[in-house]
Amino acid sequence: MSGRDSLLLLRRSGLPGRRQGPSMNEKSDLLTLRSVSKSYGAVPVLHDVNLAIRDGEFLTVLGPSGSGKTTVLRLIGGLEPMTSGEIRLDGQDISRMPINRRPFNTVFQDYALFPHLTVAGNVGYGLSVRHVPRKEIARRVAEALELVQLGSFAKRYPTQLSGGQRQRVALARALICRPRLILLDEPLAALDLELRRQMQEFLKSIQREIKTTFLFVTHDQEEAIGMSDRICVMQAGRIRQLGTPHELYYKPNCEFVARFFGENNLVPGTLGQVQGELRSIDTALGRLICSVAGQPHLKNAPEGACAFAMFRPEALHVSEVHDGKNHFSGKIVDVAFAGSSTVAIIAVGEDRSAPRLRMRLPSRFSGSALSASETVALSFAPREAHLVLS
Amino acid sequence: MTGTGSARAPTRWPRRLVTLLAFAMPVIFILVPLAIFLGYSFFSVDHGEIDYTLTVANYVRFLSDPIFLPVFWNTCVLCLSVAIICVLLAYPAAYFLTTLKGRWRYMLLMLLMVPLLMSYVIKIYAIRSILGLNGFLNKALVSLGILQEPSSLFVFNMNAILLTLTLLLIPFAILPIFLTLERIPPILRQASDDLGASAAQTFMRVTLPLSLPGVASAASFVFVLAIGDFLTPQMVGGVSGFTFGRVLYSQFGTAYNWPFGAALSVALAAVVVTAILLGERFGRNRGASV
Repeated sequence: MSGRDSLLLLRRSGLPGRRQGPSMNEKSDLLTLRSVSKSYGAVPVLHDVNLAIRDGEFLTVLGPSGSGKTTVLRLIGGLEPMTSGEIRLDGQDISRMPINRRPFNTVFQDYALFPHLTVAGNVGYGLSVRHVPRKEIARRVAEALELVQLGSFAKRYPTQLSGGQRQRVALARALICRPRLILLDEPLAALDLELRRQMQEFLKSIQREIKTTFLFVTHDQEEAIGMSDRICVMQAGRIRQLGTPHELYYKPNCEFVARFFGENNLVPGTLGQVQGELRSIDTALGRLICSVAGQPHLKNAPEGACAFAMFRPEALHVSEVHDGKNHFSGKIVDVAFAGSSTVAIIAVGEDRSAPRLRMRLPSRFSGSALSASETVALSFAPREAHLVLS
Repeated sequence: MTGTGSARAPTRWPRRLVTLLAFAMPVIFILVPLAIFLGYSFFSVDHGEIDYTLTVANYVRFLSDPIFLPVFWNTCVLCLSVAIICVLLAYPAAYFLTTLKGRWRYMLLMLLMVPLLMSYVIKIYAIRSILGLNGFLNKALVSLGILQEPSSLFVFNMNAILLTLTLLLIPFAILPIFLTLERIPPILRQASDDLGASAAQTFMRVTLPLSLPGVASAASFVFVLAIGDFLTPQMVGGVSGFTFGRVLYSQFGTAYNWPFGAALSVALAAVVVTAILLGERFGRNRGASV
């Protein structure tokens, strides 16, 4: 049986009584967290978290360690009780539903495969505790292993597998029960870079094939950008921003997200006047013009308020053409070759506290056109720049 | 080259000596005595003098005499029962220990191990006085109305040996079971719950199978310690509680027939080695890492 056939089987034979999933364009909420809080003793780890997970999406919870992202996952999975708040599945409160009754399955960080069971035993575990007939278990285990491309490994034990293979067994074990939601707790953290890249693509493709909602927890923003439909950035037990990777990258709503999510240039200043979809900000680089399109809260912020002008390193250009906007000169401090791109660190102004900017240019075989201690004229387009309130 | 060679030489000799000692100790103190024993089992005794001509008469006598084989067999059954009862009692205790948190867990474990610090003989005396005709057990049973009058069921017979050995050896069963239970990563139980298993299913399919190595070593520990014991049967067994250990003891002591005693201990050693090998076989964890 080819992988594709088994996929069709997996998809066609839904659980009895399972609500038919909505079509792709109508994305309804599968799971909602309402003012969920959690503390360990007196130590609060989650403050009033509200989150709606859409049916069929790949949602990543991203945050540095200690941000509470794994706790969110453990609360949803039922591995830990909440301190307050509620979790609703299809609108029904499941806050007090025991872990083994929740239609979710988890892929644990260190896989948590049962060492005394074979790969087939591990994958079939969720079915066998539900007393599914042996024949059906065997068939579905074979399908699931085919899906994760481990068809010939059924009789091996977990210790006989590599990290990536264990990872895929853990995934097969989680999806064989056809859960409504698959929870993945930093599943790629233990893999080396190359394998991690492969697994990212693999996870994403499987998620697309079986059309199951994935909730993925990671601290790696690159991983998050590459895989997710939406990303939820957390810090210190709070959700900072929820949006598509594009939104988070170009329109971060706070300094934390702007700094955490990819390389960035943040120049502090005070807000100036609004002109249509643009707004000025007075900074150490002079008056900069940034886009506020579609963001009324930036348009409506009072004049003189503290904010950051934000532009990505790739938005910065060397240009002698002077059109009067976002134009300044700086001294190149350092040029670093980084493979496909080259990064230049630029100091603007003479004194030591002057802002340092990063500029990213595509690398060329002939070498960088820039060299250290050179002074260059720089600019960036207003639509590439964004404001972040501080 | 010669420079490095001569510099290495002085460190090399002491190291070799240590290696030699490490191997020599077990050879001199364990293997050689065992070999001598094995040798003695092929000699015989004539009027109190050991006759050094080789013979298999001792083994023939052991296998053909109607006394020894039944005692041997009964002792094996007795010790197997002790091992099974110990494991059955120790498992819940060890499991309970792992459910305790932090300090309480080790405090209670220490308390369970305290009997190991006491003299063996004193413990046997204490247990004997509990089991005896006027002992605590009988008094309690009579005052509770379960027995009409004190029973001699618990002392100077096989039951007494069984009870005493169980009581004495139970710490040796708790410890290995506790250690394997404690070493099972909690995440495995969570994974089982997460996959929809009930608490009973998680225990039967994850916790229990993963703790079987501990159970196997506990059982083999207890069995080996029980079968080698002659003092306990001697003290609480009376006339009817005759075990193989006592037979051995009498061959070396009263009967002064070292060759025959040696042959009997070879038979005993075979059983012990088998028990240890079985314990080792099942004690090996298939998935050391998770």
